[in-house]
Amino acid sequence: MQVTETLNEGLKRAYKLMLTAQELDDKVNEKLAEAQPEIEMKGFRKGKVPMALLKKQFGPRLMGEAMQETIDGAMNKHFEDSGDRPALQPEVKMTNEDWKEGDDVHVEMAYEKLPEIPEVDLASISLERMVVKADDAAVDEALASLAETAQDFKDRKKGSKAKDGDQVVFDFLGKVDGEPFEGGSAEDYPLVLGSGQFIPGFEEQLAGVKAGEEKDVTVTFPEEYQAEHLAGKEAVFSCTIKEVKEPVAAEIDDELAKKFGAEDLAALKGQIGERLEAEYAGAARAVLKRGLLDKLDEMVKFDLPPSLVEAEAKQIAHQLWHEEHPEVHDHNHDGIEPTEEHTKLAERRVRLGLLLAELGQKAEVQVTDAEMTQAIMNQARQYPGQERQFFEFVQQNQQMQQQLRAPIFEDKVVDYVCELAQVSEKEISKDELQKAVEEMENDD
Amino acid sequence: MSAKAEHYDVIRKPVITEKATMASENGAVVFEVAMDSNKPQIKEAVEALFGVKVKAVNTTITKGKAKRFRGQMGRRKDVKKAYVTLEEGNTIDVSTGL
Repeated sequence: MQVTETLNEGLKRAYKLMLTAQELDDKVNEKLAEAQPEIEMKGFRKGKVPMALLKKQFGPRLMGEAMQETIDGAMNKHFEDSGDRPALQPEVKMTNEDWKEGDDVHVEMAYEKLPEIPEVDLASISLERMVVKADDAAVDEALASLAETAQDFKDRKKGSKAKDGDQVVFDFLGKVDGEPFEGGSAEDYPLVLGSGQFIPGFEEQLAGVKAGEEKDVTVTFPEEYQAEHLAGKEAVFSCTIKEVKEPVAAEIDDELAKKFGAEDLAALKGQIGERLEAEYAGAARAVLKRGLLDKLDEMVKFDLPPSLVEAEAKQIAHQLWHEEHPEVHDHNHDGIEPTEEHTKLAERRVRLGLLLAELGQKAEVQVTDAEMTQAIMNQARQYPGQERQFFEFVQQNQQMQQQLRAPIFEDKVVDYVCELAQVSEKEISKDELQKAVEEMENDD
Repeated sequence: MSAKAEHYDVIRKPVITEKATMASENGAVVFEVAMDSNKPQIKEAVEALFGVKVKAVNTTITKGKAKRFRGQMGRRKDVKKAYVTLEEGNTIDVSTGL
């Protein structure tokens, strides 16, 4: 196998490989000799088939295999020797199209090698980690909204009229054209007026009823009602009001805390505080990561394989296009030309991706099986009832695993870099954090 | 000598077995031939069809086995084989066909 370099420009490399007919033949013979003892053929005892006959029968089929193998082998050896790592699958092409048996095989191979990634002095990076303490005001606010969701209803005085926001307990029987219809009746139904649970007009007409009252409510089903046979029809509901209750905001006390599974109010407050802080920490981490990536992006400059950038830019353009045209869900649209902006973004992504991968590899950052399982579990939760299938799907699907592994790996590398970098802590308020997060999002 | 239709009737097919392969090492080719053909006919046919010189022809009749099928006795057909020795320098590639 002869290898000659034809192109060495930037990151692009091209080579010409030549596989002589003799080499190919030897390879085929070797393969046949290996298989011979196992071959059975009519007229011969097992393993006694003469070589010439074997070659005639299986030669052409093995030839392709042998060719593939030798070329693959040569490529791998080449990569090993030169230390290049191809950015994408190398492009391999046979140049003599009208190849016949007995001819030499000429193969052209072209690829872009991954750039040498310069050492980065991680210790010189200084970062600011924002720390936000959950203050009492925020906790109280969260508590109040919690209390709201837990509101109770209390009987109103006898004879008082139902208002918006009140809960009315009533029986009703709905009729269309004098005929009761399916799903049109219920007993002791608790309805909060103004909640919009029923069809428009119904709740409004119930306003002002008293307990013990009977009232006919006439409403027209909306045109786009989900039950087609009812849509647009007029219906009469005869309602018997049983109770009218007024809403009572839940008191913020131990009772409420117990409702949410905490021991007492202080414990609940503690829990809320913890949760808020975790939330803040998550946001602060995102900001920190963004800052780190920005710094790395500034610090490191190296050539990027154009094909990678192009692929990434195309993907970005494609994704953005889909976001702008949410009505198109399939991929049956014209190709989308990435703009300059997309390319810039893609360059940044590719550079950082390569850099992080390199850093991770040097630092021997590994994603453990446990972390992997955790990630899969998290994903699986999005498919309630089908966790098992999802699990199996992931287990069999390498690409999916890769997709899940990538963010974990990235996170761990970021952690690792943060450890090395000088990280100063700064206490700020919630609003400032929010501003930082918004700024970061606007940047994208 | 040009090939004629009756030549094709004489030669049925080449025999490709271990034994035939061994014979080929001594410059012989083995054919299955028509039952009613004789040595001169076989010689003529091989020379005409493959364009080679034939030194000698030996024939043998392999009797078909007696086989029982659904309790009934039956008999497989007999086969005439011809061991055709070629003159030095002539070869026939039996596995390629005509």
